[in-house]
Amino acid sequence: MKSHSLASPRTYVISWCALLALLLLTLGSAYLPLGSLNTAINLTISVTQAAIVLLFSMHLRSAHPTLRIVAGIGFFGIVILIALSLSDVLTR
Amino acid sequence: MASTIAPIAPQFDDAVQQRDASNLGIWIFLATEILFFGVLFAAYAITRTQHAAAFAAGSRLTDLSLATVNTALLLTSSLTMALGVYAAQSGARRALVRWLSLTVILGVAFLVIKGFEYHADYVEHLVPAVDFSYPGAQAGEVELFFYLYFVITAIHGLHVFIGVVVISVIAVMASRNAFGPAYFTPVDLTGLYWHLVDIIWLFVYPMLYLVSRS
Repeated sequence: MKSHSLASPRTYVISWCALLALLLLTLGSAYLPLGSLNTAINLTISVTQAAIVLLFSMHLRSAHPTLRIVAGIGFFGIVILIALSLSDVLTR
Repeated sequence: MASTIAPIAPQFDDAVQQRDASNLGIWIFLATEILFFGVLFAAYAITRTQHAAAFAAGSRLTDLSLATVNTALLLTSSLTMALGVYAAQSGARRALVRWLSLTVILGVAFLVIKGFEYHADYVEHLVPAVDFSYPGAQAGEVELFFYLYFVITAIHGLHVFIGVVVISVIAVMASRNAFGPAYFTPVDLTGLYWHLVDIIWLFVYPMLYLVSRS
């Protein structure tokens, strides 16, 4: 495997600013009366934030494909778990 | 000074192979952590689907301002951790110790605020099985929300606590010059764990605190 290169401090500070901005966005959006769209917006922002942390702070952007696959397995498992469980609950 | 030279275990060809193996190992561990919290998130998704109104009512009783401050603290601690790993790679020992110490302080602050939050929940009779009373309709379902709230936040808090302990140990090791540009794997791996704990909180925050605030 190719050894990973670390990002620069500038990258970390920019992602931190983006993460805080997204935090304010998700907080603010929760006060808008949008019904079930609120949850969708909150979740989308969480996924975006997680992607920023995974790609930059955790260096997956420059990581070897093996690491990316292993990192993806956990998230893939969660999606399967929740999707299949809800497909039962929501269709009764 | 010799301690900054990477000790290579006999099963590895060189330092790069050893570091890649460590990285793969921690990612496999992190994948199991993701699944571990995933089970709790799945339980939450199913229960909330079945009792949407009660979860909305329960969520409105949580302390959003403390949780938002805590989210910002955790995001900032992730930044200081990342800068610590960068300092370790650059061989900046004093900066490394400083960034790690700052990360520990932010982690402890998170836990202290969480403690205040738990205390307020206790005073308001919101702790299931210990002291729970809810005057409105669907008290049992609201209690279910708080059951998940306490299990998820307590297990996440335990992860933060473990992280604080590990980062403290790494900081002491760093102050004794244990790391340098040729060997900083323990700092790197601890950082990956800390970032994952941060990611999990990024999902816990809207799940427990932002339901039906409008």
